[in-house]
Amino acid sequence: MSEAGPQTLSWGAHLRGLLVGLHVLAVVLVALPAPEGGMNRASWADPTVQAEFQAWADRLGALGLDLGPEEIEQQAWTLAQAWTKGRNVVLKPIRPYTRYLGTNQPWRMFVAPHTHPSRLHIELREAEGWRTIYIARDPTLDWRADQLGHDRARSALFRYAWPGYSRSWKQLSRWLAERAAEDFPQATHLRLRFARQQSPSPEEVRAGFEHPRTWGQTRTYELGPIRAGELGPIRAGELGPIRSGEGR
Amino acid sequence: MSLWQGWVRALQRQEVGTSLALFRMAVALGSLWLVLSMLPHGRITLLWLRRADGGYREGSSGSWLVEALGGASSTVVWGLVAVGILAGLALLLGLASRLSAFLALQSVLALGWINVHAGGSYDDLATNALWLLVLADSGATLSLSCRLRTGSWTSDRLVSSWPRWLAVLQLVLMYSTSGAQKISHHWVPGGEASALYYILQQPEWQRGDMRWLAEVYPLTQAVTTLTWLWEISSPLLLLVFLARWRGERASQQGARASRLGRLFQRYDLRLGFAAIGIPMHLGTLLLMDVGPFSALSIAYYAALFHPDEVRALVTRVARRPAPG
Repeated sequence: MSEAGPQTLSWGAHLRGLLVGLHVLAVVLVALPAPEGGMNRASWADPTVQAEFQAWADRLGALGLDLGPEEIEQQAWTLAQAWTKGRNVVLKPIRPYTRYLGTNQPWRMFVAPHTHPSRLHIELREAEGWRTIYIARDPTLDWRADQLGHDRARSALFRYAWPGYSRSWKQLSRWLAERAAEDFPQATHLRLRFARQQSPSPEEVRAGFEHPRTWGQTRTYELGPIRAGELGPIRAGELGPIRSGEGR
Repeated sequence: MSLWQGWVRALQRQEVGTSLALFRMAVALGSLWLVLSMLPHGRITLLWLRRADGGYREGSSGSWLVEALGGASSTVVWGLVAVGILAGLALLLGLASRLSAFLALQSVLALGWINVHAGGSYDDLATNALWLLVLADSGATLSLSCRLRTGSWTSDRLVSSWPRWLAVLQLVLMYSTSGAQKISHHWVPGGEASALYYILQQPEWQRGDMRWLAEVYPLTQAVTTLTWLWEISSPLLLLVFLARWRGERASQQGARASRLGRLFQRYDLRLGFAAIGIPMHLGTLLLMDVGPFSALSIAYYAALFHPDEVRALVTRVARRPAPG
């Protein structure tokens, strides 16, 4: 180990000090916590998020701070908006450094567990009726699981189960309908939907209890027009109401 | 000495390149994993190619480089994949390390941004590490360059210490800001401490059915609190480095290290930090499918230790008599 260099510091050493200092400043500023990606009010209506506000209202209430969950939500929204706006101004000159040299710092990892997670189900309609061909993480219903089960695809599907990603979800579901039209020549329809189910608590697991499922982001495709090169999603309800538990 | 002069002089410090070389090789392996795992089963077509070329996405990609090259066509994407693999291999072997790191960086950056919905923190962990390897002389030892230059795989050529310190800062930034954002009542001590239990129930990331965790729920609670405290307190690592550096300067000048410096020299927090962090990442790797995130995180741990410490450890292990 050595601390090289003469007593007087060269211009090069000062320049290095400046550039390394700017790097440190940039990455620290970019890393400052921010609700990036979470500023969608529809997502805040999710039961997981609402339960969070309720839990904090209870906790603060126990400390003598009487704030209701709605008030906490409103204050958090206002604060998050102001913080995001200010942060964007500060980070504007730094953005090229993160964009072109990969120094972004988005460390919002598992900030809260999703207690009402979703699981993708894909079903086919054939002569005998509906048949499930894919359920995420089910080794027996694994159509295209090598693609849909990859961590990058999981990341996309995690997002598409939330509101605000309908355009991308439509694109992916259409792509899957096209593949299903090729892979199952006898099938007439493909249905994709997310089953949302509250995760059981440890006590509920031990008691063998399971929460009911609800369905969302449903998309149904007629495969004939896809094979003929005419693609069009079926309007909601055209195949009759979709009930919880249907399709298994 | 002014603060500025102290900073500039600190950046002049040099050391043998062993730690940086280990960091380089580990990052190269993580980056290769990142690209190679996409090769089979048409994953590249699905997730990275534009609709006109067989993918599902319409419209422009999020990558400036891909757009500059004409969009996420088969030629552009597969070209970037090829560059990523070749540059990753060259970086692993230590051939033209700065150039290899730069090419791998641009490949991973471009591929990761093609489909911003289909990415993870591992993309950013990889690109941050690769940028530091562009700045560092990571091929000075344990490299093909070294072999070609000196006839030996190892060399005592000195390299700047500051890229290794920046890698430590990066690790601390990741943990500390991740911890600071874990404000859910499931995480923050004083509540249920149920975060890990419920995260592992999420089908998006789990490798298999994790309901068995109900039987060891108190253990998951303990690990939840430990993880949160460990992440939040990770900036202490920077104090360790500062105290050790000040201690070394003091001893060079014949002075006594500060009380805090002596404390950190006596109790090496880095060992405790690694003793929690590495098993935590291995546990994540075992139980969750989050791509090369754990591997890339562990790669940064090579930067925690000075080359002399790495060499001392290797010597100690080599001298240990074989059992029996």
